[in-house]
Amino acid sequence: MAEKKKKILIVDDEEHIRFLYSEELADEGYDVITADSGYQLLEKIEKEKPDLIVLDIKMVDYNGLDLLQDIRNKYYDLPVVLCTAYDTFKEDMKSIAADHYVIKSFDLTELKNKIATALEAQVPED
Amino acid sequence: MFAEEINPDNVTSADIVVGIPSYNEAASIAYPTSRAAEGLIQYFSHKKGVIINCDNNSTDGTRDVFLNTPTEVPKIYISTPPGVKGKGNNFRNLFRKVLELGAESVVVVDADLKSITPHWIRHLGEPLDQEFGFVAPLYVRHKYDGTITNSIAYPMTRAVYGRRVRQPIGGDFGFSGRMAEIYQTSAMWTEAISQFGIDIWMTTLAMNNGIPICQAFMGRPKIHKPKDPGADLGPMFRQVVGTIFEMMISYAPFWRRVKWSKPTAIYGFGLGEVEMPPPVNVDQAKLYQKMVEGFDDKLDLWRQVFTEEVFHKLGEIRTFSPDRFDFPTHLWAKVLYDMAVAYKKQADGDKDALVESLIPLYYGKTLAFVKKTEQMSIQQAEEFIENECMVFEETKPYLIERWPV
Repeated sequence: MAEKKKKILIVDDEEHIRFLYSEELADEGYDVITADSGYQLLEKIEKEKPDLIVLDIKMVDYNGLDLLQDIRNKYYDLPVVLCTAYDTFKEDMKSIAADHYVIKSFDLTELKNKIATALEAQVPED
Repeated sequence: MFAEEINPDNVTSADIVVGIPSYNEAASIAYPTSRAAEGLIQYFSHKKGVIINCDNNSTDGTRDVFLNTPTEVPKIYISTPPGVKGKGNNFRNLFRKVLELGAESVVVVDADLKSITPHWIRHLGEPLDQEFGFVAPLYVRHKYDGTITNSIAYPMTRAVYGRRVRQPIGGDFGFSGRMAEIYQTSAMWTEAISQFGIDIWMTTLAMNNGIPICQAFMGRPKIHKPKDPGADLGPMFRQVVGTIFEMMISYAPFWRRVKWSKPTAIYGFGLGEVEMPPPVNVDQAKLYQKMVEGFDDKLDLWRQVFTEEVFHKLGEIRTFSPDRFDFPTHLWAKVLYDMAVAYKKQADGDKDALVESLIPLYYGKTLAFVKKTEQMSIQQAEEFIENECMVFEETKPYLIERWPV
């Protein structure tokens, strides 16, 4: 039986980013869904049950680092990769609740590597 | 029965305990005691709180200073018998008392803390009401404060057990009553754990028992008695690192299945501007000298412990001058992994000698870290440490391959 595709939720308020990431990550074999803001994000996660979230930080109406805290408090081990144009958010301690922090680039190699690592990460429950 | 117990208010039950372990801390214990009391009043007035000083039968008047510190919260003093020392032994008493009292939440803080505020009690205690069973601190520390944590305890626990706890031996923790029971009933106890190995033991047990872990931001630096990394380490290095290696033996079936690492939840924001820590001066010449002396002294032992590749590379770094000294992270990871393997294979009596043989190399690694991060801010040094941790994780297959099954 074929292994089920991993589902990635991309949260970014920029349409061209959502489009680019969707295309490239689908080519990598992932099932990709998107959200254009943090609005009702937890409900969306509950409904869609993604295996990993790619989360922008600086969105018009939402701060990704605050959304990250909400996600981490409810979904202890759900992998989250922060993806932002800004290096400076690393100085915010909230960012360490993310699995990885990637600077946005048209070359998605690092993002893809961090996604693969985060999905592979495994801590036994027993 | 404890060797000594003084319970002036006859407390027989509690919801939340603040524990303060001590040995001869008469000069400092009043401050964390009064701050702890304020924290309990301000943030846990809805709970029955008590402060417990778990002491090593201090001879400098610690007991009287603690009991006479004015607090609106009851206090209990318990002690090990005369001659029985060790922070771990203090904690063992604390676990017993916590279970006797039926407390569901426990916060422990060091007796020499100068920077504690009532917020610390809140941030280490509140997550325990939200299903977290273990709360580790997050402080802003100077980049040269806590070098055993930065170069050994954090990268090793992260890579081996797969959970990113930045301060696994911070000394200030929160844990649940359930966790106290796990600690109390754990069959794993050594002389090292009864001393300074206790902190890493507590953190590692939480990681290996599936306990949800949270890191709480303290907002202020940990101001205690930081030491120059080049100063003598005392028995602490052997007890902490020995405990790390000892626990790797017990928990191998778990960590061999761990791949990469995962973050924890973070708690405790909104504290306003973060205060910067005081500087820590480093005597680089002393670090280099101690490393070189170790090479002369430990070479034969290292030849038996390390793989040929690692031993050869150590020989190479020995030739680096102080100005150009470097200790690559992947080599340091392999040094620690090789030593962990040797520790497992070693007969009981010689294990301390193995761990202590690491000390000169630790000095060398510390020197390399200091040189690399000299021009870096604290945040940049933190990123550097995170990158080092990734190297440890990437090198883990080497450990798994070498680990005797």
